[in-house]
Amino acid sequence: MKFPYLKEAVKSLFSKPSTENFPKEVKEAPEGYRGKIVFHPDKCVNCGMCIRVCAPGAITRTIEKVEDGDKVTFQFYLGQCTFCQLCQDFCPRKAIELTKEYLMIAENEEDLMVRGTFIKKAPPKPPVPPVQPKPVAQNDQPKEENK
Amino acid sequence: MFEKLIQKGLEKSAWLYHLNTGSCNGCDIELVSVITPRYDAERFGFKIAGSPRHADIIVVSGPITSQSRDRLIRTLAQVPEPKVVVSLGSCPRSCNVFNGSYCVEGPLDKYAPIDVSIAGCPPKPEAIMAGLVRAVEILKEKRRAMK
Repeated sequence: MKFPYLKEAVKSLFSKPSTENFPKEVKEAPEGYRGKIVFHPDKCVNCGMCIRVCAPGAITRTIEKVEDGDKVTFQFYLGQCTFCQLCQDFCPRKAIELTKEYLMIAENEEDLMVRGTFIKKAPPKPPVPPVQPKPVAQNDQPKEENK
Repeated sequence: MFEKLIQKGLEKSAWLYHLNTGSCNGCDIELVSVITPRYDAERFGFKIAGSPRHADIIVVSGPITSQSRDRLIRTLAQVPEPKVVVSLGSCPRSCNVFNGSYCVEGPLDKYAPIDVSIAGCPPKPEAIMAGLVRAVEILKEKRRAMK
């Protein structure tokens, strides 16, 4: 008498189930996974390349005038993001990073926003030159005659 | 006598209805993989129902195209209260890259309040499961509030 799948049956009787025990063991995403965006405002130089490159237009920027420069706020809306990583690739200062975090569950829109604010200082103003006294009108006239 | 038992059963087993409103099929494939043996969402009590009239949770994927808009409204009206609307992926939340297209009619919250949104393009099966578990909690609260 032959039992065709006896070996397989005995093997699976004592092996662990193939189901991942998800909420108890959260697996890490594979290398290179594009997940939640992290923005480093201290590295950003406000070049706007990420906004230019973003296909769905998930990145918005607001600029406010402050005393010592511009107060720049970048806002990444993860509910509109395609997670294509182009903003990270094109960022010249590596200020944007797509992490491996993939659990992005939100009940309102505000939870899906990633924001970063920094102040971009205006270049120092050149010193104001002292006002020179006006040349006397008499000196100008002989010059014109020479010409 | 059986009232309590039925209520407990209803709370523990929420039925899903998957509604595709012009999705690119990425999210749909990920949702189907959630009920495979590897992730096995049925251990949380989920079951994909064939009819919206049997469903407790409606999972909407895709930006709402003008063809599917009327069908979306009709389907949502058929779902009995209490219902939970889950937006799967970026598209129902904000139309993603299709935002502003002539055949796309706005994000989902124009037509129905979104209770849980799962971000990602597409989200990982683990993220979908976490979102659905959150949806069940909301469903429980809604059901208790209705009494």
